[in-house]
Amino acid sequence: MLEQLLIFTRGGLILWTCKELGNALKGSPIDTLIRSCLLEERSGAASYNYDAPGAAYTLKWTFHNELGLVFVAVYQRILHLLYVDELLAMAKREFSEIYDPKRMNYNDFDETFRQLRKEAEARAEELKKSKHVGKPVIDGKKQGQVKKGGFEGGNKKKSEANDGGDGDTGKSYKLETGHSNGNHVNIEGSRAVVANSKENASSNVGAFDVSKLQKLRSKGGKKTDTVVNKGSNVHPKKKITKKNRVWDDSPQESKLDFTDPLEENGNENIEVVGTDHGESMMDKEEIISSDSEDESEEVGKESKPDTKKKGWFSSMFQSIAGKANLEKSDLEPALKALKDRLMTKNVAEEIAEKLCESVAASLEGKKQASFTRISSKVQAAMEEALVRILTPRRSIDILRDVHAAKEQRKPYVVVFVGVNGVGKSTNLAKVAYWLLQHEISVMMAACDTFRSGAVEQLRTHARRLQIPIFEKGYEKDPAIVAKEAIQEAARNGSDVVLVDTAGRMQDNEPLMRALSKLVYLNNPDLVLFVGEALVGNDAVDQLSKFNQKLADLSTSPNPRLIDGILLTKFDTIDDKVGAALSMVYISGAPVMFVGCGQSYTDLKKLNVKSIVKTLLK
Amino acid sequence: MEQWKNEAKQWLQQGIEYAHQIPPTQLYAAATVLLLTTLFLLIVRLFKRTKSNTIVLTGLTGSGKTVLFYQLQDGSSHQGTVTSMEPNEETFILHSESSKKGKIKPVHLVDVPGHSRLRPKLDEFLPQAAGIVFVVDALEFLPNLRGVSEYLYDILTKASVVKRKVPVLICCNKTDKVTAHTKDFIRKQLEKEIEKLRVSRSGISEADVANEFTLGIPGELFTFSHCSNKVTIAESSGLTGEISQVEQFIREHVKP
Repeated sequence: MLEQLLIFTRGGLILWTCKELGNALKGSPIDTLIRSCLLEERSGAASYNYDAPGAAYTLKWTFHNELGLVFVAVYQRILHLLYVDELLAMAKREFSEIYDPKRMNYNDFDETFRQLRKEAEARAEELKKSKHVGKPVIDGKKQGQVKKGGFEGGNKKKSEANDGGDGDTGKSYKLETGHSNGNHVNIEGSRAVVANSKENASSNVGAFDVSKLQKLRSKGGKKTDTVVNKGSNVHPKKKITKKNRVWDDSPQESKLDFTDPLEENGNENIEVVGTDHGESMMDKEEIISSDSEDESEEVGKESKPDTKKKGWFSSMFQSIAGKANLEKSDLEPALKALKDRLMTKNVAEEIAEKLCESVAASLEGKKQASFTRISSKVQAAMEEALVRILTPRRSIDILRDVHAAKEQRKPYVVVFVGVNGVGKSTNLAKVAYWLLQHEISVMMAACDTFRSGAVEQLRTHARRLQIPIFEKGYEKDPAIVAKEAIQEAARNGSDVVLVDTAGRMQDNEPLMRALSKLVYLNNPDLVLFVGEALVGNDAVDQLSKFNQKLADLSTSPNPRLIDGILLTKFDTIDDKVGAALSMVYISGAPVMFVGCGQSYTDLKKLNVKSIVKTLLK
Repeated sequence: MEQWKNEAKQWLQQGIEYAHQIPPTQLYAAATVLLLTTLFLLIVRLFKRTKSNTIVLTGLTGSGKTVLFYQLQDGSSHQGTVTSMEPNEETFILHSESSKKGKIKPVHLVDVPGHSRLRPKLDEFLPQAAGIVFVVDALEFLPNLRGVSEYLYDILTKASVVKRKVPVLICCNKTDKVTAHTKDFIRKQLEKEIEKLRVSRSGISEADVANEFTLGIPGELFTFSHCSNKVTIAESSGLTGEISQVEQFIREHVKP
C-alpha cells in the first residue's frame, strides 16, 4: 500500500498530497531524498531507500522538467509494489494538464488520483496473477521475477541497496542491483542505510539461477563468509592471518626493526634549522581566467544575449524552429559525446554514465527554445550539475574547526588513509607546514609501523619543520600508538595531531580491519582519504570499499566514514582532472586539499570553476 | 604673399567643392547616427540610476524562506514546503498591501535555496539586490550556529554587498514556538561567532581567496554596527503569518 504521493515544485512548494492515505510519514523522507539524492546528481537512479526509527520506506520519483514539478511516491520497503512507476507516470500526465503556475490548490485532483490508483492496482493484480499461473513457483523469493519490482513481498531479510549506486534502469535484473553491495553502496548522508545493507546471501543459497551468477561476480568482500562469498570473489582474498609479506624467495629476515636506537648525538649531524619555504600555496590567490568575472555588472541582463548568438551557427532548421519537447533520443547523441569527453578527461566510466543519466532526467520533457542547440543546453545542464557536485556540502574551513577544538582543549586529530604509494606522508608534511604558518602547533604521529623507513621519514620531516613527533618504532599496533599520541598531544598542548597510517589495498581484509579499529578507537575529527589524481576507474573502487569497510568493520552504531579527500600528484596530470570528480561523486566527501608538487608549499585548495571548465573543454 | 593667398583660396575652393560633392543623404545619416548614440547613452545612464526592486531571501536550509516567500506573496503557506531545489522568484505586490489604494511598486522577491550545494545561485542575484533578508531558524539556532555565522559572514564580505551597501535584515523565524530564542540572544551569539571568524580568516593570510573584504574594526569586538551597510534584526513567524517586520523592511527599501 502506498504511504504517500506528493507533488511539489522544484522551488519547494507542495502542490498536492493524497489525502486518502493520510498516514503521517515518520522522519522526513522527502527532505532527505532531495538532499541526498536529487541534489547529489543521482536522480538517474531508480529508487531511494530511507530509514527512520520505526519505518523503512522506499521512494520513487519522476520529474516534469518543463513545468518544474517533482512527483514522489513513498511506500514501505517490505511491500514491493509493482505499480508505482506506472502510477507516477499516469499521475504526471494527468496533473500536467490541470497545472497552472498561479494556482496553489488542486483538490479536484483527488478524484482523478483515486481512479488512477485503482486502475494501477488492478493492473498490477492481473500481472501478478498471470505470472503465478505461468511459473511453477516453489519459493517465490528465489525465482527471478525479472521486473523492476524485485522480489515478492514478505522477504523481510532483504534490503535492497537500490540507490544511486546502481542506477541502471535499463537493466532488467533488479536482483543484480540489489546485491551490488560490494561496489556501490549508498554512501551518502544517510549512514543508517549503509548499516542496513546487510548481505542477502542467506536467502540466495539454494535455487540455482543464472541471473545470480552474474550478480555474484560483482560482489566484493562481505562481512559474513557465506557460500556465496567464497565462490564468487573476483579479487582473490589475501590470507586471513597477517604474515610478513614475502615478495620473493629470499629468506625471512628476523630483524625488521632497523630504527637506530635514539641517540641524542644522531641529531647533531643533521641540520636543525627550521625550514621556511615561503607561503604555502593554500593561501595564495588563485589566478582564474576572467570569463566568469564579467557577471558582476549591475545590469546583469546583458549576458543573456550571448548564449542566443551561439545557436546561430548550427543546423538552421531545428535551431530556428525549436522543437516541442526534448525526448531522450534527442539528448542521446549530445550526452554520449559529453560522456566520451568526460572519459577522456579521466573520469571513471560508471560515474560519467550516472552523471549523464542524471542530466538526462533533468532535461527530458523540457521545451527547446528557439535559437538554441541541444548540445549547448546539455552542456549548460552538465556544467551546473558538475558545479553542484564539486561544491562542498559542508564547510571545509579546517582552521575554524581547529580553533573550535582548541577552545574545548582537545587536540584536533586528522587521520590520513589511502592505498599504497599515493603520497600520504609527503602530504602530511605539507599540511603540517601549512598549519604551522597559521600559528597552530602540530604534532605528528607515526602510525605507519609496517613500511620500512616510514618512521624515519616522518622524523626527518618533523625535524625540518621543528615539530614534535610521537613514534613507537615498528611492529606495533597502530591503533594503540595513535591513542598514546593523542594523549601525549593533550598533555603537551598541541592543537593538531596528524596521524600517518600505512598504505593498504582496499581488498585486504585484515589491514582494513586494523584501520577500522584505529578509527573506532580514537574517533578522529577528520578522516582524510588520500587519493592520487592519476588513478582512473580504480578511484571508485577504492573509495567505495574504504567507506564500506569502515562502516562494516566498525563496532559502533554510528561508524565514521571518509570525511574529506586529499587529491595528490595534481601537477602530473595536465588537464585530465576527472579523478577529482569520480572521488567526490562516489563518496560525497569534499576535496579539502590538493597536492600539486613535492615541496612543502605545494598544497592548494580545489578551484571548482576551473576544474569544471577543464572537464568540459 | 600673394602667391600664398592665391594658393589658400584655391585650397578653400577645392574644399568647398568636395563638401558639395558628398550627397546630402550621407550627411544626414551621419548626423542621425550621432544623435541616436548620444540619446542611447543617456537612456542607459538613466536606467542605471533607477533603483532595483529586488529583495533576496536567503539563509540556511530549513530556516523557513520558502514559507516566508509564500506568506509575503499570498498570505498563506498553502500546503507546506520541502527543501527547495531551485530559486523562487516573482514580482508582485505584497499580499498585505494588495488592498491598499494608490500606486504601489511591485516587489521582485527572490527566494534562494539554502542548501550548501546550491550556494553559487546566490551570486547570480546579489548584484541586483536592493535588500537582503537573512532568515535564521530561531528554534534550532545553537546546533546550526556555526553554519549560520559562516554564511552570514560570507554574505557580509561579498564585494557586491559591501560596495553597494546593501541593507541586511536578520530575520529570526519560527518565533511562534515556545523554545525559540529571542532576537537579542541571537544577535549576541552571531556577533561572537563572527568575531571568531574574523580572527581566523582575515588575520593571517594576505590574500584570502574566499572573502573579498574584511569585517569590522581590528582591535574591537565585532558588532553589527561596524558594518558599512545597515544590518538590522527582526522577528517573524512564517507559519502563523506574523511577518509585519519583514514587510516593513521591504517597504523601506523598495521605494515607490
